[in-house]
Amino acid sequence: MPFFRNKRLLIFLIGFIVLVALIGYSLRDRENVTIAEQIINDTVGWVQNIVHVPVTFFTNIFTNIDDIKNTYSENQVLREQLGEYKGLIYEVQELKDENKELRDQLELTESDLLRDFRTIPAIVISRSPERWLDEVTINRGKQHGVRKNMVVRTAEGMVGKIQTVQQYTSKVQLLTGFDQFNRISAMISRDKGKDIFGMVEGFDKETGTLMFRIIKESDKNIKKDELVVSSGMGGVFPAGIVIGKVKDVVPDKYGLTRTALVEPAADLYDINHVMVLDRDATETDVGEEEEE
Amino acid sequence: MKRIYILLFLFLFLILEGVAINFLPSSIVLGDKMFVPHWILIVLILIEMFFDRGNSYNALIYALIFGLLIDIVYTGILGVYMFSYGIVIYMVHVSKKFLHGNFFVTLLFSILGLVVSDLLITFIYDLVGVITFSWQHYWLNRLLPTVLLNIVFFIIIYFLLVKRFNKWGSELSWD
Repeated sequence: MPFFRNKRLLIFLIGFIVLVALIGYSLRDRENVTIAEQIINDTVGWVQNIVHVPVTFFTNIFTNIDDIKNTYSENQVLREQLGEYKGLIYEVQELKDENKELRDQLELTESDLLRDFRTIPAIVISRSPERWLDEVTINRGKQHGVRKNMVVRTAEGMVGKIQTVQQYTSKVQLLTGFDQFNRISAMISRDKGKDIFGMVEGFDKETGTLMFRIIKESDKNIKKDELVVSSGMGGVFPAGIVIGKVKDVVPDKYGLTRTALVEPAADLYDINHVMVLDRDATETDVGEEEEE
Repeated sequence: MKRIYILLFLFLFLILEGVAINFLPSSIVLGDKMFVPHWILIVLILIEMFFDRGNSYNALIYALIFGLLIDIVYTGILGVYMFSYGIVIYMVHVSKKFLHGNFFVTLLFSILGLVVSDLLITFIYDLVGVITFSWQHYWLNRLLPTVLLNIVFFIIIYFLLVKRFNKWGSELSWD
């Protein structure tokens, strides 16, 4: 029957057009997701919140058994470290005071602002099954003060940034899903203003490391295990958040710059509790004014 | 009423896909192999094979709805899963008339469906430039592990759900 054949073809074509329109719409640089999407995301997030508890309880049983095996030896090491910490606390306190005094003398307020942030604790309630786009959902949203592009970190270091915000949940783009559109300005800290600056430009799936492109090299010898921290210069991320450790340094494909392969400090596969960093209120005001 | 049960089942798997990675041991997840749960697709194929009677398009409609839901909840790029799942379920809908629905036929459809849908999804993402990857890397590190993981899921879910779907399907009056 030619009529049916045509109808089928027509439906397929309409479907294809809808697909192209939807993709085009969602790839546009949208500031906010539509209300329908927000409602669906929040509803699913609410159920995920409930399901998440028994699932993590169940899966934690197995990891707990592993943990118990290691507890004794870990305890010994921790005891030794604890003694050192007490000394360190005094030292840090003293340095902090001294630093503050010196800053006041120099009237350095700007770089201080870069380090000021409020933290919003959150729990990861689900992880996107689509592994191409590494995303996790957390149970804090607009109502709790989360905004787009805020940094998300664990105790170990940076894990990603907020991609979309709904009222009660929000989605986090993990470092593993970063591409050339999501750069982080970062640096390797050295003394006497010899810091090495660069950009974290993406994640290499094959080596499992972040690529830290070095812009200005003041010291050519980057050593293994040096810490890469965010420099706060991009204006999006606050300064001083640990990103990872240098694993290797390789020249890029044109031989003009060098790229350090950086192993993320945070465990990006087993994330449970995270902190969203809200930069200082005055800082966000400035940002909003600029946008307008 | 039976249709609501089925929608609830699908919704449950939509939620479970988000925590699926927790069930796998971390040594597997940490490697460069990508395991992607397509559990909703498997359940949809079972619905198409055993719940739908005659010429009804229930499974296709569910595929479009839940494909869109996956897009909204987990990826943010609308239409990709909706289109891929829709095409696969339609293909199963057409070809189920030629083959009798038993375990092995459903297994075959599932494997083909997984391969087609995952290829389509990757192809569309690649086309619009959301991801960068090499196809060489894709076959062994994504397609094969994904199909294997979902086949294991299929075998478990087949024996749990097929009788139920069959019963519900025969109890409903199809007009």
